[in-house]
Amino acid sequence: MRDAPGPGPDYDGPTYYDRPSLKPAPFNTTVVGGYIFLAGLAGTAQMLAALAHRARPRGFRRVARTGHALSLLAPTLGASLLIYDLHTPQRFANMLRIFRRTSPMSIGTWVLMAFSGSSIATVAGDWLGRVPGLRWLRPVGRAAELPAAVSGAALGTYTAALLSATSTPLWAAAPRALAVRFGASSVASACAALSLAERQADNHRTARDLDTIALAALGVELAASLACRRRWRALGLHAAEDTPAGAVLMHGGADLVGTAVPMTLHAAALAAPPAASRRGSALGSLAILAGSLCLRIGVLETGDATALRPRESLGFAQPKNLPRR
Amino acid sequence: MQTLEGIVTVVQEGRFLLTTDDGRTQLLVLSYAAAAEPAQLAALQRAQSRVRVACTPAPDQIGWVARRVDLLDAAA
Amino acid sequence: MPVTAEGSVQTVHVHPRARDYPGSFLDGVIPQEAELTCGTRIEPGKSYGFFTDTTLCIGCKACEVACKEWNALPADQIGFTGMSYDNTGGLSANTWRHVAFIEKRGPTGTRQTDQAAFQSGWLMMSDVCKHCHNAPCLEACPTGALFRTEFDTVVVQQDICNGCGYCVPACPFGVVDLNPLDGKAHKCTLCYDRLKGGLEPACAKACPTDSIQFGEVPVLQARAEARVEQLQQLGVAGAHLYGAPEGEGATGGLGHLNAFFLLTERPETYGLPPAPTRPANRVAPGLLAGLATMAGLAVTALALLGGRR
Repeated sequence: MRDAPGPGPDYDGPTYYDRPSLKPAPFNTTVVGGYIFLAGLAGTAQMLAALAHRARPRGFRRVARTGHALSLLAPTLGASLLIYDLHTPQRFANMLRIFRRTSPMSIGTWVLMAFSGSSIATVAGDWLGRVPGLRWLRPVGRAAELPAAVSGAALGTYTAALLSATSTPLWAAAPRALAVRFGASSVASACAALSLAERQADNHRTARDLDTIALAALGVELAASLACRRRWRALGLHAAEDTPAGAVLMHGGADLVGTAVPMTLHAAALAAPPAASRRGSALGSLAILAGSLCLRIGVLETGDATALRPRESLGFAQPKNLPRR
Repeated sequence: MQTLEGIVTVVQEGRFLLTTDDGRTQLLVLSYAAAAEPAQLAALQRAQSRVRVACTPAPDQIGWVARRVDLLDAAA
Repeated sequence: MPVTAEGSVQTVHVHPRARDYPGSFLDGVIPQEAELTCGTRIEPGKSYGFFTDTTLCIGCKACEVACKEWNALPADQIGFTGMSYDNTGGLSANTWRHVAFIEKRGPTGTRQTDQAAFQSGWLMMSDVCKHCHNAPCLEACPTGALFRTEFDTVVVQQDICNGCGYCVPACPFGVVDLNPLDGKAHKCTLCYDRLKGGLEPACAKACPTDSIQFGEVPVLQARAEARVEQLQQLGVAGAHLYGAPEGEGATGGLGHLNAFFLLTERPETYGLPPAPTRPANRVAPGLLAGLATMAGLAVTALALLGGRR
């Protein structure tokens, strides 16, 4: 979070008849926000599955299996959302024509491909590895765990770089803080989903461990959220505060429901005995999932708003805001 | 949905001018959902083939959206 | 009559090759016609662009019309904006030249009612795709639909674009736009088809005052610098270039703009960002910060899980 805020009042110079000087992204914010959420959830679930396997191969077998299963959200529903958002969807395969390292969308396409392939292998190892004649799938699945975890970690956070590598002021203003925020939110959401599954299976001790990780991730997310807000305010970008989407999705959804409420619930649940804490923990986990989705849609919505506000976009594109060499 | 019949006279990207039999010229843009590809329009223009275009008015524009393009005679 | 950098009036010459085509009707396209119309030979491998001198613009919108005519672009953004003579509004998927009209305000912030003789109360500027040296739209395109042509211009290949829309927010000037009807991104091609045929781009050829000049970028840059000097000497203190190498409008790693401008007011007046940046420079910081977060939280998770072994 080295995006130090530069002090200065809001832009009050000329504009061209207050008309927008940028174009907002033509993304459907709900669809793309939904993809970012699912990619984060699926990617980090795979990462946590590998970690759990490594830390305690026996006790966490179920977590690993659930994580593998959750990872399938990315190649199925996630990829469908991406294709749905294309304006010429029948040409979706053109994404695979090239690799371009200056384009996080191109990087992300290949990360998603790598993740999908290795994730399908891990699931195949889990589900089909016991079928006689298909036993060879088990070592294949185990070997795929590491590439799935690494590409999962990338999948959980590259979407922040995708937004930052544009000229939309709100996204471009804080590339590092936004990436930390997205990454932490992804980890929290995967912990929440895995914890819910463990609670469902009355595996409360494992769920508590997952809730503890979620709590740590929420702490990081909160810090990144404050860093984002400080940076945006310093640059005169107010859409996250004064638009309905900012108030509802960013303040209410991401910060209150997605961070403050589950932090309280999880902290209280961890203080209570394992079985007694189930309801609070489950509620906290659901709040994390809702907040994580709100964060992604909210960032997309409020970013578009800053692109449409000439005072915010022209104020952002001032020489004083140029990165120092 | 309306239909226009005529000859493709000018093609630029996915846009084309269709000169109908009564001598009027209409500007159309090929819909992303149409079965034809923009690259095929240039071939229609070169061949000066007669085509039938099913189209709807383009919103907030002076022009049409071509939903379907059918070849009326193969060689003209 | 064109005025040279020294301020002396230059006689208009007819290009010697023009005598080869005395008739009113031609059999076909004149080879290298651009040499006759703007003194530029169009050859692959060289860098071409526009120099738009806003001090010469009279707001006739011939560039807008010529562009729409040549590129078969429909009239869009129908209606009146109600703010100036600008009813085009801005660049869009179907509008690749846009003449901005800015009415100068007096010291009190209201419209000036008196003017010195032969002075205009209006600033006019024909905006266009800048064909950036490090083009953010091209760098963002995940399909390779956006590419750099042999004329050093940036063009969307319509047979490849799948309408992901990522180039739209990537553009620091709000130029690239998606047409939801055909589902593809569109922007000025710098008349790629005309360049291939040796023709000057439609807007530059139609411009009656040579406010839009087409040519090789280094030649245009030298001409523009001389023009700024001349205007400065004539007392136009605000005259400066927008999009010259590493200068205003080409900051933050954009390099230079192949389509650059001579402005007399702050760029924000025309709706242009004074210090745009190259979005690709934010890819590494974003990715690394994200991966570091993941690594940090993974280590934390491992410590928490392993601690209760």
